[in-house]
Amino acid sequence: MEIFGVLAGEAPYLFKGLLITIELLIGLLSVGLIGGLFLAVLEVYGGTVASKIAMLIQRGLRAVPALVLLFLSYYALDFPPLVTSILALGLRSSAYQSQIFRGAIQSIKSGQMMAARSMGMTRIQGIWHVVIPQAIRLAIGPWSNEFASETKDTSLAYVVGVVEIMRRSRYIISYTYGNALLIYGIVALVYLILTRTGNAFLYWLEDRLWVPGFERRS
Amino acid sequence: MELRSRSVFAVVLTVAVLMSVFVGLGVQGQEKDVYKVGVDANFPPWTYVEKGEYKGFDVEVIRAIAEEENIDIKIIDMPWETIVSALGSGKIDVLVSGLSITCERDKTIDYSEPYWSVNQAVLVSEDSDLNAITAMSMGNKVGAQRGTTGYMWVQDHLIDNGVDVQLKAYENYVLSVEDLTTGRLDAVLADTTTAKNFVKKGRDVKIIGTVSTGEQYAYAVTEGDPYNLLPKINEGMEKVFESGRWMEIFNKYLAEYGYAPPAMIPMGRELTCSE
Repeated sequence: MEIFGVLAGEAPYLFKGLLITIELLIGLLSVGLIGGLFLAVLEVYGGTVASKIAMLIQRGLRAVPALVLLFLSYYALDFPPLVTSILALGLRSSAYQSQIFRGAIQSIKSGQMMAARSMGMTRIQGIWHVVIPQAIRLAIGPWSNEFASETKDTSLAYVVGVVEIMRRSRYIISYTYGNALLIYGIVALVYLILTRTGNAFLYWLEDRLWVPGFERRS
Repeated sequence: MELRSRSVFAVVLTVAVLMSVFVGLGVQGQEKDVYKVGVDANFPPWTYVEKGEYKGFDVEVIRAIAEEENIDIKIIDMPWETIVSALGSGKIDVLVSGLSITCERDKTIDYSEPYWSVNQAVLVSEDSDLNAITAMSMGNKVGAQRGTTGYMWVQDHLIDNGVDVQLKAYENYVLSVEDLTTGRLDAVLADTTTAKNFVKKGRDVKIIGTVSTGEQYAYAVTEGDPYNLLPKINEGMEKVFESGRWMEIFNKYLAEYGYAPPAMIPMGRELTCSE
């Protein structure tokens, strides 16, 4: 079949698209990780005003569809498409990640903080050296879920001009005037492999970081 | 007290970070070093990407024009859903993608002189008994790419006049033709050039009629032409035609569909829009 010859020739360019997808994914997850931890700490320890604000930001970002956020950032900012998408999807991810971290932080028993304070640590030292290291370990499981869902959401970024794997695959469908089923099938397989590889790594990390005697995902 | 001041600081910091993210950098000069030419790379033979390379009639013509006029251009791919509004808001400077002139679009973008005419072709699957009239009435399902002139024609001339058709929007013509061959659609309305390509490429479809819309393709710039590009594009088009380069590109991409090239480029604009 002629299409397989076409696909063989296009493989390097599909791979280029995959690299952009991975760049976007790493970028947005990093923005989300920093933003999410910040929002979570603010929400749990921020006092009346700051925790209210963190909550409002987090709720607002979770209520707007990813596609709308992408378009809003695209027309409001003047950055290259990839940066725009990293910011838009990253901010939204920070809202979701903040809830993962908030849950994890709140599940650390209050005695841990009391013990830290009684040893002479300040509140911030207690959060940073005692609570967060335990919470992060607990958060890896639910975080792998966020990883999988963001991996798939990167496929939206083509609307603002990011030429990732989805867009690359559409190029082929267009100029061969068909083959949509086959090509989208291949793309689905690539996303499956990407998601499963990432999750396998996260489960490995979870086992690796587990402190004997503490809770873990069964 | 100490705790309170720290949380106020945290609030200020949060707001500052978010604000800095939402401040744009829009600076406008009268000339640019490089002009951004937006294409929707899903519209062969006009604009497409094959093996990582921009190709197509419009891509090569705009490159030839840029060469004649000594301007630097960078080709950027934008999906069809975004491309016209991206031009309207100045995210790209020129739009080159088999774009028909319509009065609706004329409100937000400015057109160059036209260079190609098309009508709308009615496509049905090869084994269909429908004719051009029955295909687009009697409750049949008609597909078209969202935001195209074909889509707008069905809406404005059939549905708004009470003709019984179900109009289905697609983000890409390929997907609508795929639905035509699997029987999910009864007909597809597409630009004559696009329709002929599908027949030529051996999809199981046939053209059963043509709606004479008399549309013309043109290049477009942001409303008000802030960089004064239209005179350059029009002049460049004429030079490219006179040098014979236009015909070379025509032979490469369009001749196989059996079209006669226009006698003159630029050709006169047919459509006048009241302000």
